[in-house]
Amino acid sequence: MAIHEKSLIDPDRIMTHESLVVDGVDVSGHWNTMVAPRFLSDYDDDFVNVIRAYPGGENVHRCWQCGSCTNSCTMYAQNTDFNPRYWIYLTNLGLKSEILKDKDIIWTCVSCNKCTNICPKDVRPEGVMKALAHWLEDEGHTDKTRSSIFDEEFTGQVLDHGRIEDAHVVINFLRKTKQPYFQDWLIEAVKRLMRHMPVGMLTMLGWNFLFTPKTRSWGRTGEVLREYVREQKAAAHARMKEAAHV
Amino acid sequence: MQNTVLVVGGGPAGLSACAGVIGAGKNVVLVEKEDRLGGAPILSGYAKLVPSGEWAKDAMGRMIKRVEDSALAKIHTGTRVVSLDGSVGDFTATLSNGERVSAGSIVLTTGFTHFDSINKPEWGFGTFEDVLTTTQMEQMVAGGKIACPSDGRVPERVCILLCVGSRDRQIGREWCSKICCTVSTNLAMEIKEISPQTDVFIYYMDIRTFGLYEDKFYWKSQEEFKTKFVKARIAEVTRAPDGKRLLVKGEDTLVKRPIVIPFDIVVHAIGMDPNVENTEIARVFGIGLEKHGFIDRAEHYTNTCGSTRRGIYVAGAALGPETIDDSISQGQAAASRALADLYALVQKTA
Repeated sequence: MAIHEKSLIDPDRIMTHESLVVDGVDVSGHWNTMVAPRFLSDYDDDFVNVIRAYPGGENVHRCWQCGSCTNSCTMYAQNTDFNPRYWIYLTNLGLKSEILKDKDIIWTCVSCNKCTNICPKDVRPEGVMKALAHWLEDEGHTDKTRSSIFDEEFTGQVLDHGRIEDAHVVINFLRKTKQPYFQDWLIEAVKRLMRHMPVGMLTMLGWNFLFTPKTRSWGRTGEVLREYVREQKAAAHARMKEAAHV
Repeated sequence: MQNTVLVVGGGPAGLSACAGVIGAGKNVVLVEKEDRLGGAPILSGYAKLVPSGEWAKDAMGRMIKRVEDSALAKIHTGTRVVSLDGSVGDFTATLSNGERVSAGSIVLTTGFTHFDSINKPEWGFGTFEDVLTTTQMEQMVAGGKIACPSDGRVPERVCILLCVGSRDRQIGREWCSKICCTVSTNLAMEIKEISPQTDVFIYYMDIRTFGLYEDKFYWKSQEEFKTKFVKARIAEVTRAPDGKRLLVKGEDTLVKRPIVIPFDIVVHAIGMDPNVENTEIARVFGIGLEKHGFIDRAEHYTNTCGSTRRGIYVAGAALGPETIDDSISQGQAAASRALADLYALVQKTA
């Protein structure tokens, strides 16, 4: 091990090689570890336009780094690594690799909107956090959020059957988010339903749970809706991307 | 009683002072060392002026015509004042062309000298063809085409380095040159207008687009023209390995990391130095200079535009970094002080 005080170096810059030959000299073994230079060597000029094409990210280029957002931030008070001002700067310069270092906390924004209310340049930082979180999700850098999973389950059922089945929504959501089915709040809710619901309605609930009937004459409606939503999303994204370039 | 005011320097402040004297019906003698009038905006070939957006040759042209057309004005170009005798109310100046001028008072509008970027060799001016000054970039904009001087290619990226020759103890320039931030944000817009595919970056320590320049230049440049602002003071400019582009090295103080970024053109936002001839000017006119080398001003509240010598007034960038608009206003103010002094001897004898 050739590097002392390794803790002072970003882990992603430490390169350890099984076998390494430098200038024809075999340095495998004791000298097998190298440190990548820490300087930033380029900007991704188009990245800001990618983020501006997401709803909420439109005004990110207006930022002048006063730090009002970070100062007022609910999450910053919990975790000083949560720094909207800094991510906005990285976005504007297209320093993507730096943003990715914080991919696991950006989504924790609680949308209290204190930043957006205080921002002197109308950057709308809360929207930028949302845009960044969505970009991270779209690019596969982060897992889908629980709210996205819930939305997809809910919408999927509507499109498939023209209606939702509450029990299926809850069960599938818990399954997809790898949560136990037996939640205290859920057991309590079911108990109270059993106690207070008229027998007729309970029977219908059970029937629907088992057979998931479709809304009458649903036919190809779901298919058509799905296609329409897909088209609209693509068009909206293309429109915003174009607008961001202007 | 004297009927003549002597104005030295034919830039914005001087032309304005002349107009002030003419407007009061008195005679003015204008002495300009260059062979034409207009001062820095004309001699250095500025493009559109801040904040009017008017082309320098049009705006200055009107100021020049107003003085040239007056029967009360006598203009000496390519001429200097070589010596001065007398005192307030009765000065006699000897010019380099041998003529003698009798004047009751004098307005000095001797301006400034652009900082010479050669004095910051680490930033590549004089070494690389594609490192320019803001004045050179202004000339390129005035020519209507943005291209790298080295090979004529359209730049993908241009960066403007602020505070070149300003706020720098290393080279004995401890002042802010006041106008470079506004000029640079404006220049970024002009570049983008001519060459939409070029991205412009401004490397700054602070942005000082004071007063109404804030939203008209800084905000507009950032929000409408997508100028990017990077907080870093550049350490050096070198040649990229491809032999064409330039590498700008420094520390991004917000990311807290060193940067080595490729650019096609690097522009120095050069500051305003005291006129290089100020020691000579101070000797000839018997006035003092302040510690940076600009002309020293008298107590300002009741001796507005005064120098350290009675009867000699100063306006514009001769006093320190100044905008064109404020230089023009000061020219008028200095003219009113100078006009009052035409009666100095009358008052003394009365």
